[in-house]
Amino acid sequence: MNNNIKPIIMPKWGMEMSEGEINTWHVKVGDHIIVETDLVDVETAKIINTVAASDSGVVRAIVAEPGETHIVGALLGVIAPAEVSDEEIKTFINSFSGSNQVDVLEEAPSMTDIVNEPAVAAEQQPVKTDILSAGEDDSHVSASPVARRLAADYGVNLNNISGTGRHGRVSKRDLEAAVTAAGGRLIGTNNAVPSREKQGDDSHVKATPVARRLAEEMGINLLECRVSGNRGRVCKADVEAVAAMRNKVPTQTAVSAAPTSSSSTPIAISGMRKTIAERLQASKQTAPHFRVQIDAELDNLLATRKQINDANTEVKISVNDFIIKACASALTRVPAVNVQFDGERVTQFAEADISVAVAIKDGLITPIIPGANRKGLEVISHEMRDLATRAKLNRLKPEEFQGGSFCISNLGMYGIKQFDAIINPPQSAILAVGSGERRAVVKNGELAVATVVSLTLSSDHRIIDGAVAAEFMSVLKGFLEQPATMLI
Amino acid sequence: MQQYDLMVVGGGPGGYVAAIRAAQLGFKTALVEKQHLGGVCLNWGCIPTKSLLRGADIAHMLKEAEHFGFTFDSLSFDINKLVKHSRSVANKLSGGVAYLMQKNNIKVIDGTATVADKCRLDVNHNGTVTQYRSNHIILATGARARNLPNIEIDGDLIWGAREAMTPTTLPGSLLVIGGGAIGVEFASLYNDLGTDVTLIEAAERITPAEDAEISSLAQKSFSQRGIKVLTSTLVQAVEGAGDQAMAIINGPDGERRQKFDQVILAVGIQGNIEGLGLENLGVKTENSFLVADPYGKTNLVGLYAIGDVSGAPWLAHKASHEAIVCVEKIAGIETAEPLNKNRVPGCTYCRPQIASVGLTEAQAKGAGHNIRVGRSSLNSNGKALAINEAEGLVKTVFDANSGELLGAHMIGPEVTEQIQGFGIAQQLAATEHDLAHTIYAHPTVSESMHESVLDSLGVAIHQ
Repeated sequence: MNNNIKPIIMPKWGMEMSEGEINTWHVKVGDHIIVETDLVDVETAKIINTVAASDSGVVRAIVAEPGETHIVGALLGVIAPAEVSDEEIKTFINSFSGSNQVDVLEEAPSMTDIVNEPAVAAEQQPVKTDILSAGEDDSHVSASPVARRLAADYGVNLNNISGTGRHGRVSKRDLEAAVTAAGGRLIGTNNAVPSREKQGDDSHVKATPVARRLAEEMGINLLECRVSGNRGRVCKADVEAVAAMRNKVPTQTAVSAAPTSSSSTPIAISGMRKTIAERLQASKQTAPHFRVQIDAELDNLLATRKQINDANTEVKISVNDFIIKACASALTRVPAVNVQFDGERVTQFAEADISVAVAIKDGLITPIIPGANRKGLEVISHEMRDLATRAKLNRLKPEEFQGGSFCISNLGMYGIKQFDAIINPPQSAILAVGSGERRAVVKNGELAVATVVSLTLSSDHRIIDGAVAAEFMSVLKGFLEQPATMLI
Repeated sequence: MQQYDLMVVGGGPGGYVAAIRAAQLGFKTALVEKQHLGGVCLNWGCIPTKSLLRGADIAHMLKEAEHFGFTFDSLSFDINKLVKHSRSVANKLSGGVAYLMQKNNIKVIDGTATVADKCRLDVNHNGTVTQYRSNHIILATGARARNLPNIEIDGDLIWGAREAMTPTTLPGSLLVIGGGAIGVEFASLYNDLGTDVTLIEAAERITPAEDAEISSLAQKSFSQRGIKVLTSTLVQAVEGAGDQAMAIINGPDGERRQKFDQVILAVGIQGNIEGLGLENLGVKTENSFLVADPYGKTNLVGLYAIGDVSGAPWLAHKASHEAIVCVEKIAGIETAEPLNKNRVPGCTYCRPQIASVGLTEAQAKGAGHNIRVGRSSLNSNGKALAINEAEGLVKTVFDANSGELLGAHMIGPEVTEQIQGFGIAQQLAATEHDLAHTIYAHPTVSESMHESVLDSLGVAIHQ
């Protein structure tokens, strides 16, 4: 096969990514491109990101069209020098689609790079320079801007390089010499053996033999699995839990050929929509939802909020910020609700990592305030503002929305009085918050007016008993009605 | 109440750039503008003045034409046509900004904005107030010409920049008060067009922000052209005297009175911070400018300030750069770095042009650097001699220990197009050796940049 022909393949961004939808091509067949040229936007369940070229040449073929969904490692297009014949390109495409999936994965990452995903990109670097990566902060080391950037790409600590440039500055040449000497491969060259790390080598993961075989058959990476078996091993149930989360629908589902009429429009399902659909369905089917509802009076909280906001120009604490803080405090008090359950094992957390549902264009995402129990309202407010801003821009990092020990969904701003939410697995409870409104209440036998919010907790009844859920809600109500008690 | 993810107040080179970058990143974005998209820069500043100065260049070229063998029987000049060219360029660009807003799906809201509360904006359009909510509000309201306590722009005898760029007749005599970039440009313009110009500066030299050697060369050149330059001099008052203005001038030689057809006041600018409702919300200001952190964040949550209204240097490219930094920081882009004021080039389009970036020699010494200075005069530059514009200097200031380019100062033909070379060198942390080993094309005026660097190392070839 002609070594100058390079495939553009569906990248793997993070452990959970199994497929991606082609969003927009930035290049067309015949375009001359260079390294780092933006090639194609790919939408996954979580994120839209851009695949950038790691080779220069001419775009010779594009085989994946916008709107199509392809599995990780699938061929999307071909880059080759102009002098390579069309025949050779065709042969390459045919042989590529026929090749074994694992081979493709191993080969793939050296061909593509990821923009704006430094962590993943580093993981994919085609060099092996562990001995050069250790060391203290190297920001003070004198190095040319080019050398510093390459060092970051190679994962090299500049403390380990002796500079021979002007004024002893580390030059690009110094860096490349050191990388080569350490047995690494230079970026932009493609002569090395594919690294197994790129696809997330799971051979070192402790797993039961049954789990390992099952994972292999189902194409599941053991790194993706929870570890709940004995002796710290991934067990069969762990693999099955991942499988249950996965999409079982064939990837290239055409929208069913419903009779087209002027009154209906078929809408292609986005990656995010697919994930939402799967997760909610799985949650509703596996977790028996048990709901408890309580009303809390917010007048004290609103007065406190006004006091804080009036006294500080630099913050704008929202009612939702108070609810996050109150939930975190209540979870600390009733830790039995601060749990994840994967069907086999319950994990209880010391920290309240609170997911907050944020509506974004065409879907929803749940960024996390980690350790909200340790944070004050100001910090929570600033973090939430930042997370909500970046959620709308599709700029959250996976770790910022994956995980969480409890979830809050607030539809109060739409004037919704009360609703039930569906648990976001593997979490075991979710709080649905309605709008705070002036209602008639009875106080000491008298009719009075108070600002009241209706709160509904949906919990997984397999592991959270009714009394536990009720206790959590009553503690939460206490914190909301007497916000000063959260200070303790 | 209407809601946006990000709102910008002001459609100048800070505001419209912020809006476009925000829209690119996926913010639902709106821009509030009370008058003209493009702001002062496009409508009443950089662009229209450069259009006029092109006319001045042509006037100068025509005067020089004889040197190259051309003679004219008769030559006439209609200032209205020059002003018309200037206005049409401004209008074209303003229309271009409107197109960019539309293309990027940015809602342009006509009206005057007030910050009503945290994350709240009221926009008054012809008396109708519309309320908006936005988590991020960027103020890019710009600045305007400052008056003196005893001398105010009246649009008649005393012009501000706006009137000075739309004259209907050419004044016979002109007093320019203020020898900063704006004053110097107008002095140069009107002198080339044939007006008798007097330029007065309170400091001891014109273009006081520039390196002293550059200032002194500019002043020498101006004097040779017939511009009367008075430094360390104050204008006490300007009084009406018939059709003319009587200026009371107080200089080292004592007080005197002189009549002028026209006066231009160009003594600095002040921020547009009034009427925005900021005082009610406790937003911090200082000397008419908003106080913001290096990313443009003010002390009010969700409120940011960029460009002229957030303080010096009052330059369009500084505003645009701050716009990008501010928006990218809000979007959580980790590569967003605060503006380094030592990396902001400054350009003055008088003749000869002045361009600089970084520290002057005096500033570098003051900051405790052990410096190495290079100089190259344009009278040894072949291209400059060929075009008969060999008046000028390229001065480079390096840190002698690290080789860092601390500053570069240029005066001469088209130096405003050349300063980018030094700006790029600074950004890439190039040393004097990197610059010395770079190959410069021959014959170009910018070869003097090379000579200056070589001179700093004591190895200049052509001098």
